[in-house]
Amino acid sequence: MADNRDDFIIALRYALLKKGAKQKFSLFFLISFSVLIIFLDKISLPITTFTRSVLNDIVYQISFVASTPGKVFNYLNDEKSEHFNIVNTNIILKEEIEALKSERYDALFLMTENTILKQALKLGSAKNLGDEASIRAKVALDHNSPYSKSLSINKGKKDGIIKGMTVFSQSYLIGTIIEANYFTARVLLITDLNSKIPVVLQDTGVNAILAGAGKKTDLTLEYLPDDIELLPNKIIYTSGKDGFLSSGLPVAETYLNKKNEFKIKSLADPQQASIVHVTRGQFNK
Amino acid sequence: MNILKLIKEFFLNHLAVLALYFISFSTFEGLNSIQEVAIFSFNLQMIIVYFYVLKFPSHLGNGHIFLAGIFNDVVIGIPLGVSSLSYLVLSFFTNYIRNATLRSRMSAEWITFIPALFFSNLIYFIIINNFTHLSFFYVELLQNTFFTFLFFPIFYYIFNYHQTRVLKDNA
Repeated sequence: MADNRDDFIIALRYALLKKGAKQKFSLFFLISFSVLIIFLDKISLPITTFTRSVLNDIVYQISFVASTPGKVFNYLNDEKSEHFNIVNTNIILKEEIEALKSERYDALFLMTENTILKQALKLGSAKNLGDEASIRAKVALDHNSPYSKSLSINKGKKDGIIKGMTVFSQSYLIGTIIEANYFTARVLLITDLNSKIPVVLQDTGVNAILAGAGKKTDLTLEYLPDDIELLPNKIIYTSGKDGFLSSGLPVAETYLNKKNEFKIKSLADPQQASIVHVTRGQFNK
Repeated sequence: MNILKLIKEFFLNHLAVLALYFISFSTFEGLNSIQEVAIFSFNLQMIIVYFYVLKFPSHLGNGHIFLAGIFNDVVIGIPLGVSSLSYLVLSFFTNYIRNATLRSRMSAEWITFIPALFFSNLIYFIIINNFTHLSFFYVELLQNTFFTFLFFPIFYYIFNYHQTRVLKDNA
């Protein structure tokens, strides 16, 4: 019994302390060093924050290059799918064009009527994304892992990006800046579990928190009153109650999936974003 | 020509280290990038660490495992040192298994990968839950761990074939 215990302890000690033929560090030293790094990162001293920021900038640049083969593979995969779908899409688009042509005349009438009514009510014209001063950035890395749904962009503090700024892709909100380095920044996507956005539901005025659940087509609404019955095809807007995002930004839409289950999907596709606009969130309409 | 040969030799001899760094930098998550087969995503870093520490420890240093973990943390965006500690715990268990095993068999090594993965992930969860405010997709992580275990034999034979060839060429 005692011999077995001794053997176990010897094997453990050997595994932990013994350096192999070409090993420069023992496992014990490196494990202790890792724990020290976790501790230093946790207490966030200015020196560790600065070191992390520098490390982030360097690693992101290398990572951008290293992830190129993967991006090329994804690109070719997408191109292949697109090629096979193009004929069907073309037919659908032709039908849509015909339908849109007939709707265009109605829309023109409504636009004119809308302008006249706005003038009568003395309302200013709505601003769009292009009117606001935004920082245009390119997506450098796409972190789609079980651990996080985030993006790295090629603009940082140098370009005026700070933590908390909002990020848009094709006029739709896709996330917020959670880490601003000197040359790069990290965007937490609305599909991430840690993303929480105060929202209001179309036609109801009910407030809730829109949380990510990992997928673009599967967002969740938290703190929704029990007696509210959600309807499909309703737009979810930001409520602006966090005091940072302006109200009325369309974020998501309710829908019924193939199994007739009620779901919420993001209006933007964060994983497909290649160019994004970073703002301070004051897109007041 | 001679330089090309040297580069080729370097790549072949240091495949484990290079693959580990490349995967850490390139945000490779198994098959996660292909939507249709994303469920089969697995952690290749863990397989590399386990295989090389178990079978060819002189080809993968602890320092490289530590550094690859640090890079992985930066790329994924979690606190520094978490992946390093996780990989080093895996390495520690693998070292122990190597010392305690008398006769090496693939099936036995495949089974012992379960406790090694378990303790490695356990350390990871404990740190993430206690030292950060991050939430995780537990089901995805469980799937990832399961397929890491499941795909181990495939990579075992690939790496084993490669190493035997490299060792034969060097002899």
